[in-house]
Amino acid sequence: MDFIVQGTHLIAQGIKKSFATKTVLRGVDLEAERGEFIAIVGKSGCGKSTLLRLLAGLDTPDTGMVWIDGNALQGQNKVARVMFQDARLLPWKKVLYNVGLGVKDDWKPRAREALEHVGLLDRENEWPAVLSGGERQRVALARALITRPPLLLLDEPLGALDALTRIEMQQLLENLWLEHGFTALLITHDVDEAVALADRVILIEEGQIALDVPITLSRPRHRGSAEFAALKGRILNRVMGVNDDRQPSLRVLQSVV
Amino acid sequence: MLKNFKTWFSDYAVVWLLPIVILFGWQFLVQFEVIPRRMLPMPTEVLETAWKLLQSGELFKHITVSAQRALTGLLIGGGIAFIVGLVNGMFSPSEKLIDSTLQMVRTVPNLALTPLVILWFGIGDTARIFLISLGVFFPIYLNTFHGVRYVDKGLIEMGRTYGLSRWGLFTQIILPGALPSILVGLRYSLGIMWLTLIVAETIAATAGIGFMTQSAREFMQIDVMFFAVILYAMLGKLADATAKTLERRLLAWHPNYQKA
Ligand SMILES: Nc1ncnc2c1ncn2[C@@H]1O[C@H](COP(=O)(O)OP(=O)(O)O)[C@@H](O)[C@H]1O
Ligand SMILES: [Mg+2]
Repeated sequence: MDFIVQGTHLIAQGIKKSFATKTVLRGVDLEAERGEFIAIVGKSGCGKSTLLRLLAGLDTPDTGMVWIDGNALQGQNKVARVMFQDARLLPWKKVLYNVGLGVKDDWKPRAREALEHVGLLDRENEWPAVLSGGERQRVALARALITRPPLLLLDEPLGALDALTRIEMQQLLENLWLEHGFTALLITHDVDEAVALADRVILIEEGQIALDVPITLSRPRHRGSAEFAALKGRILNRVMGVNDDRQPSLRVLQSVV
Repeated sequence: MLKNFKTWFSDYAVVWLLPIVILFGWQFLVQFEVIPRRMLPMPTEVLETAWKLLQSGELFKHITVSAQRALTGLLIGGGIAFIVGLVNGMFSPSEKLIDSTLQMVRTVPNLALTPLVILWFGIGDTARIFLISLGVFFPIYLNTFHGVRYVDKGLIEMGRTYGLSRWGLFTQIILPGALPSILVGLRYSLGIMWLTLIVAETIAATAGIGFMTQSAREFMQIDVMFFAVILYAMLGKLADATAKTLERRLLAWHPNYQKA
């Protein structure tokens, strides 16, 4: 169990952000406990990626503060690693070298170990171009985890994968999270994925947090269970703007998931 | 057996058929003076001349001189173009300051400046190297600039979040990302390099392939002149092949260069 890293304690306080003509975030308050797994859902364009970029320190909020373990975030967030929807591997580096990107000392054995964790050690000498979409994301995951980051920010990393690969990746992600103990913020458009992985699901709507649902189901979670379906239904209803507690119609369900 | 020969013939040998027929026809036409000998040498004569020049060491001397001029020009012009392209691609103030001026100058064909260049530098090698430098500058500048400018922004952002320094970003992301474009520029400028060299060497040179041709003309050595043309073609081909090899090596990661 020497993998356990202390997850980050993260606080976002009164975050506002506008672009030229458009206010995207109108005061977001969010706190993540050490080692907590939070899923963020919301309609496309509601500002999820914007929030994540602010937490990563890639951009600065107009007002509001981000606190990382009690320190105000300034410039780039050094404890965070980001995973994007496109794997963003460097096409001109072999898999192993991609995983070791930015790591200085003794990186090769560490990169191999990280690759082993995602089950791709045998592909270390391949060019990224020959990998499948799922494999690329696994390499990206290895690259994100090689430095044992206390905070992992994931911007729809599984969004482009086919359904089966996605479920496989979700399990991998959950296992690595359980093993490493980092704090995770996962943006997803898949409510099923959110309920399967997260301790809390947060809905962003009109630039604010509109819903914050703790998911207390025990792990490993069974997607077939009644509680799972009920939670998912509740969140979906809210996302789609249905205010009573009826199960959403099948049509709505399919259009979102 | 017969079938093997057939496929061998239709796959490989057939491309040589026409050149061989032409060579024989040519030899025949000149040998029997259908075409006067002072207009066209016989292929056998050209070969003989090539052999003689090779043995006397003269050929080697001229090629060395020509190659030196070409490469010096490429190094100076291409080097400056590469650096200016990088800087303009990465820093927009410098782009604003320099790029549009360069775009204006670009429309002037380098060879049009020959008389002026002779006036400025005389008829020595400086003038020739200057013309070559000028010619290779623009393809390399433009392609370096565009290559750097259009490196995937997502990759650069990723590099920043993964703790790469500015130097690391440059060497590991920007430069390799721009490389395919830069190599296109290099290949293109090699063509211009030879063309400029050929023209520049006919101006009062005292050595080099161009000089060899000029003096051969004075003595009506049509076989030497002919051989010089072939030599230029071979050197051009060599430069092109080098560029291609360079691309295959440096861009092995690129899907275009991977075996299917
Ligand atoms: N750099 C930017 N400049 C202008 N508008 C932006 C910029 N980044 C995001 N936006 C806008 O902000 C809104 C939220 O974007 P984003 O956070 O990417 O949404 P999503 O929730 O789909 O991730 C969108 O309308 C988008 O067009
Ligand atoms: Mg987004």
